Amino acid sequence: MDHSVSSVTPGSGLSRRTLFKALGVGALGVGSGGLAGCSGGLGDDTLRFLMNKPEVVGYFGELITAYNEQSGRPPVFFDSTPTSISAQFVRGVPPDLACYNYQYEASTYVNRDVLTDLRDTAPAQQIAPHVQELVSQFADEEHRFHVLPYSTAAAGVIYNVALFEDNGVEVPTTWSEVIQACQTFQDAGVVPIYGTYQEGWTMAQGIFDYCVGGMIDVAGFYARLREVGDEFEAGADYSFSVVMADAVARMTELAEFDNEDAAARGYSDGNLAFGQGQAAMYLQGPWALGEIEKVDPDLQVATFPLPMTDDPEDTKCRVNLDLGMWIPAQTPHREAAMDLLTYLFQPDIINTYNAENLYYSPLEDAPAQPDERVAGLQEYVDSGRFYQGPSTFIPPTIPLANYLQELLITGDPQAFLRKLDEDWRRLALRSA
Amino acid sequence: MTTDTATSPGTRATDPGAEAPRHRSRVPRTYYLMLLPALALFTFFITLPALAGALFSLTNYVGFGDWEFVGINNYRVMFTDPKILSAYVFTIGFSVVTVIVVNVLAMLLALGLNAKIRLKTALRGVFFVPMVISGIVIAYVFNYLFSTSLPSIVQSLGVGGPLSQSILANEDLAWLSIVIVTAWQSIPMALIIYLAGLQAIPDEVYEAAALDGATPGKQFWAITLPLMAGYVVINTVLGVKNFLNAYDIIVGLTNGGPGTSTMSVAMSIFTGFNSGDYAYQMANAVIFFLVTVIVSVLQLLLIRRRGVQL
Repeated sequence: MDHSVSSVTPGSGLSRRTLFKALGVGALGVGSGGLAGCSGGLGDDTLRFLMNKPEVVGYFGELITAYNEQSGRPPVFFDSTPTSISAQFVRGVPPDLACYNYQYEASTYVNRDVLTDLRDTAPAQQIAPHVQELVSQFADEEHRFHVLPYSTAAAGVIYNVALFEDNGVEVPTTWSEVIQACQTFQDAGVVPIYGTYQEGWTMAQGIFDYCVGGMIDVAGFYARLREVGDEFEAGADYSFSVVMADAVARMTELAEFDNEDAAARGYSDGNLAFGQGQAAMYLQGPWALGEIEKVDPDLQVATFPLPMTDDPEDTKCRVNLDLGMWIPAQTPHREAAMDLLTYLFQPDIINTYNAENLYYSPLEDAPAQPDERVAGLQEYVDSGRFYQGPSTFIPPTIPLANYLQELLITGDPQAFLRKLDEDWRRLALRSA
Repeated sequence: MTTDTATSPGTRATDPGAEAPRHRSRVPRTYYLMLLPALALFTFFITLPALAGALFSLTNYVGFGDWEFVGINNYRVMFTDPKILSAYVFTIGFSVVTVIVVNVLAMLLALGLNAKIRLKTALRGVFFVPMVISGIVIAYVFNYLFSTSLPSIVQSLGVGGPLSQSILANEDLAWLSIVIVTAWQSIPMALIIYLAGLQAIPDEVYEAAALDGATPGKQFWAITLPLMAGYVVINTVLGVKNFLNAYDIIVGLTNGGPGTSTMSVAMSIFTGFNSGDYAYQMANAVIFFLVTVIVSVLQLLLIRRRGVQL
């Protein structure tokens, strides 16, 4: 909450509006969509920069203040309201520059051609091609440069180093070693993996993405589905129920090692329990590390990618474009937006941001991630042995997280995959 | 109540036949002027957007960018979508159960709070508290109670059964938790209306009944309930309308889970805004609007029939 206050940059005559906004955010918490209406009425010269990732609002606030001091331009308005971007597009007042989580929702803007092509800009030349490619995995190839990756989150299995050592368990490099490790913990009375089924997204980004992403070619699978389009048929050789069958079977096998009350536990319960050393492993991304640190700053944790086959060479880690920058085509401030974008893409700014916030910089030749909690994923990121989570390719209209909840509580992999097939078919018919 | 206001203008208009023309020329203009601001606001902010939404339900619009007409495709797909159909089944079933629970409990509480008991005012205050707390706050508090407190109490009593686990994680029972919390929040409003109704019944009626030897139970069925019929009707109509729109409490308790077993229609419609599914969920909204209208009209017809008999 205090983030939103610190984010308010000293602007020209904005004090009342920003005050209201800060109050509104404080009073309503998240989802105060109605307040975003204010943002349409900024002065003509004011550039609106949107970045509302709560954990780093303070960090970006300082960056923008520093930029305003030296730019010689009208001060940038830093908008950190937690709001829906699609509503701003609907009203025709998108931000002038956005630094935003890139997933399915953002990719719809890309494909609907409402963003600027940035391929000829200087920052686009610095980005490692295998990271830039992540953009076009969701979108059409021609739109590849409509979003510039700013920050990559790499995720794997977070583990409790002391519990591993005490029980003589090595970091597993194959699927059978994973099961063996779980067995060892279970026999020793330690919860092998902490599951938090009450909040479905934790399963989608965790156990589902790790198991499926570790076994199939994610981008290829969804590219094929796009190709098939409205001809999609449930149970065909490209369908969910065929391609993901083995991975989902292994997923339910792995879920057997979750805590018994997983069905009634949520994300914050999981962070608390893992922070207190109640479980050996936790399938969460780097965003959970800060929360775990709050529980026990001295707890030694590290991350490894979940091996899903018996060949260690197959192991990959999950990545997502935690932040990507884009400029809406309709902005009247394109030149000013480019200036701020170029500023934020200076290597010492973008690399420092990523190093300090446990992410990986998308720039080629970026220095290694210094934090040992996520350093275990470095070689996978460097060599491009990663996938974007298969859950992030599934439009939110298919309630994957809810289906996973059902699957892991009642356990019917066939029914789960059949539902995905059926929903995908209906969606394809509708979007045709 | 509703029947009274609906019929009185009609009867008055037919009575004084000679004066009617003069009235028609003068009085209505003032009425129209008084109605105009509200009518304009309602048209611009409710009717027109709703019509636009209905129009977009015939397109593949995602909320921005290009779109084209796709005819009734969205509606056709919708009627084969088990997620949406089960949302309707859940929402309607939930509304019926909750309306009954809320009205029975509110009536019992109102009878208690209307009796000559000690601490009547303080108790009334206590019972109204849930009404002033935001639904999402209530839901998060109950979420904790259901997933942590209740199971540990049941376990420490050594009782097995489904309650020893969180009922929020139980596909067959999760809806009960939503009924309980919604009822907890909605009872005060119904209670206020029932209290007002009970206070409007003159004491003489009960005194006369008591002299005739009617027991308290007989008095309730023969006097209180018939005289309260109008209030029961109001509470039922308002309740059904509110419960059909169930949203915040479900989000805070189960978020539609486990699986999609507690997904309400309103939640389903809302997903359209974030998932590029705008047009499809607009089609859903149009159907939901029709369902709500039909339910309301049916209720009003039933009421009118009963209202005449009473």
